[in-house]
Amino acid sequence: MTPLASIASAVLSVTPWRLERRLEVDAKRAALTRIGGAVGAMVVVGILLLLTGRNAFLIFWQALDAIFGRQRGIEGVALRAIPILMTALGVALSLRMKVWNIGSDGQFLMGALAAVGVGIHMDGPGWLVLILMAAAATLAGAAWILVPALARAYWDVNEIITTLLLNFVALQLVTWSALGFWRDKAAAVIQSTREVPFTLPGIPGANSVTIALLVPLAIAAVLWWVFRSTSIGYEIDIIGGNPRAAGFAGIAVRRRILIVMLFTGAIAGLGGMLQLSAPGAQAMNAGFSAQFGLSGFIVAALAGAAFWGVIGGGLFIASMFYAGIVLQTKGLSVYIIFAIYGVILTGIALGEIAARYRVVRRDAADESGATAGESAAAPQGAGS
Amino acid sequence: MTGESTRSSVEARGVSKAFGGVAALDAVDFEVRWSEVHALVGENGAGKTTLCNILAGIYRADAGQVIVDGAERDFRSPAHAIDAGIGMVHQHFRLVEPMTVAENIHLGWPETPGVVSQRALNERTEQFMVEMGLRVDPTAKIWQLSVGEQQRVEILRVLARGARVLILDEPTAVLTAKEAEELFAVVRDLAAGGLSVIFITHKLREVLAVSDRLTVLRHGIREITRPTEGATASEIARLMTGEERVLNVEHRVVTGDPALELRGVSALNDRGITALHDVDLTVRSGEILGIAGVSGNGQTELAEVICALRGLESGAITVDGADITSMSVRAVTDIGVGHIPEDRIGMGMVLSAPVKDNAVLHSYWTEQFSQGLNLNRQSVIDFAKKLVETARVQTRSVFATAGQLSGGNQQRLVARREALAADRLLVAAHPTRGLDVNAAQEVRSTILDKRDSGCAVLLISDDLDEVLLMSDRIAVIYEGRIMGVFEAAEADREHIGLLMGGHSITEAVA
Repeated sequence: MTPLASIASAVLSVTPWRLERRLEVDAKRAALTRIGGAVGAMVVVGILLLLTGRNAFLIFWQALDAIFGRQRGIEGVALRAIPILMTALGVALSLRMKVWNIGSDGQFLMGALAAVGVGIHMDGPGWLVLILMAAAATLAGAAWILVPALARAYWDVNEIITTLLLNFVALQLVTWSALGFWRDKAAAVIQSTREVPFTLPGIPGANSVTIALLVPLAIAAVLWWVFRSTSIGYEIDIIGGNPRAAGFAGIAVRRRILIVMLFTGAIAGLGGMLQLSAPGAQAMNAGFSAQFGLSGFIVAALAGAAFWGVIGGGLFIASMFYAGIVLQTKGLSVYIIFAIYGVILTGIALGEIAARYRVVRRDAADESGATAGESAAAPQGAGS
Repeated sequence: MTGESTRSSVEARGVSKAFGGVAALDAVDFEVRWSEVHALVGENGAGKTTLCNILAGIYRADAGQVIVDGAERDFRSPAHAIDAGIGMVHQHFRLVEPMTVAENIHLGWPETPGVVSQRALNERTEQFMVEMGLRVDPTAKIWQLSVGEQQRVEILRVLARGARVLILDEPTAVLTAKEAEELFAVVRDLAAGGLSVIFITHKLREVLAVSDRLTVLRHGIREITRPTEGATASEIARLMTGEERVLNVEHRVVTGDPALELRGVSALNDRGITALHDVDLTVRSGEILGIAGVSGNGQTELAEVICALRGLESGAITVDGADITSMSVRAVTDIGVGHIPEDRIGMGMVLSAPVKDNAVLHSYWTEQFSQGLNLNRQSVIDFAKKLVETARVQTRSVFATAGQLSGGNQQRLVARREALAADRLLVAAHPTRGLDVNAAQEVRSTILDKRDSGCAVLLISDDLDEVLLMSDRIAVIYEGRIMGVFEAAEADREHIGLLMGGHSITEAVA
């Protein structure tokens, strides 16, 4: 049991009900309980806002209006979603193999840095430079996870520490590039790299959103297909489930771990290039990644490494962040906004847990028998 | 035997329990006396563990009474049961591995002093062990102990909490034969000291060796309770299974080309110590070669080198004359080698994956399922359904995870899957370990069918009865060396037993 489930079960122990673990969690219920968790959290937020003398209804209205009321809002959400979706997809892929890539921020930054390097040094047709930028970013993201991936695959070195620490190295490199070797000398005040003179083509009808938005959608579709219909996806799931069984089945486990980890880095790295090629974002400074990797990690973990869930979750979190910024301009303190983020994410996490349990009346579990619960299943326990 | 007292310690009267509408126990009467070892016998799923879980406060009965020392009790948790003096040692130990024996015994024990030095803790433990007549080094860390010693710590833990009725759930399933003998002595001593011991098992030999009385459960119904004295194994087996099923195995003498050949094979174990010394073995098509030996004498490594899961230090292995010494796992599987691994759960399946994915673990890359990158979902599902049906695996659906299957069903699934993968050679390591009589017979029939269809079978088992029953020829392994090979007809049980214990042939004959 998770700590939260233990607490819930302790609270229930004085009532005629008790928690029972579900053996199987179907995808629909898992999605519904997460949404329920988010809605419940917003109700809690609303009550807290009312209690502190704020007009919660107005604030919610302002947030919804800011996002859905105008095209700028929708585009703002999309722009924030792209980097989060890219890092989240990379992390989700690694989670399928029970590998924890905490370094997607670093891979994202290195991808963007490689794209800057290509973009400011190459002349040629825009489309060609952009393709080369994307290729460089993909390779740089993969390169940034190469050492942790080799260490994990061949020497069983825990990847959580190695990938996490490389984030700080990447951040220092970016800062150095902005202050030093690629510094924009024309802009004396702002410390940033020179600007890449190319942007991706916009989506028809949009002001600022480019075709970059299509990339995470396409990657999610490909990953979904790989895990649904290919032997590669099967092998990755087997490795994630039981590496010894994978070896027994003749799967080259170490090589697979290496390759999949490189792919997760590559996806995050490409995310860096997509971020860089949006109009108005074509240079890098130390604040280039607003902890996109962390947000992406949260999205992937809350989505349970389901790729379409990652898309939905990423869009939701991007909306939340966008609404937060708008609400700041309306005078709501940044601390309150961060607290609201926390409550909502906790609500979703609780929803994720709720999907795995059900509440039953004590001793009534036996009559219901419809869904398998802890006691109903107990094949080993009740077995002999 | 010691059971002089006839006062009952714990009693279940008309206890019933259902799970999901299926009756696990149906109005069962069960009575245990002080100073006796009471064997609770039955096949997998007969309700033995359910009954004991009710006595130990883990489940509550739907109907019926639990009476402890003359008073009716209603346990709402295991803590209530232990307060009443009933403690259970589960099949899977609940010890904290990095902590010492003394710490584990004192963990969560109300009588543990709030502040205590390591030394005082060890002394308290030592003293308690002397009282109980059960010894384990109090300062040893759990992970350093053998399984048998860990079990002793579990027993001590339960006794320390004042248990007067000790329930042991299939305690010998994880033990070597020698450790089991030691456990029997411990159990007898405890009963002699006035305690009640409920001994859950489905091994008939153990029932006869250890118990004063026995109760047989079948499909949740009590078949009989009687003194062990005078009971015979075949009688108990009949009550357990409802019918007397004896597998008739015709042993053959097969000549012809060898299917599997090992020549001078040496290999290391996981710790880098030589586990196989210069092994020569031959298995012909259509015969079962049984490997008799005490666990841990190189059997695991033998199976693994043949299936390419472990490298060789020297020597060569051929299948149908083709050298497979340096082949990959996949290549070896592709030429028709199946492997029922010793560690079914740890190696043979993925518990978090659906049954259908487990069904194709050893064949998903073949043309039947994979075309290029594409893994054909429908053919995987169809195959899994058929496998589940023919292997008589009880599962709600092929989409349920393998972790939801009972141990016996997991084993049936793996055994049948590997039998299908094995065209030329089946390596079966302890294929019936932990199975009840019926399930074991099914797995044995599967293996015999393989043999009769011309497949070569290497059967590894630490159950000598099984080796003798199944094998056409028998090889004895001891400390990684083959001590001798016999035709089934000329195999002498005592002689083989001596070789398994490391006595050389000349000594054995003399």
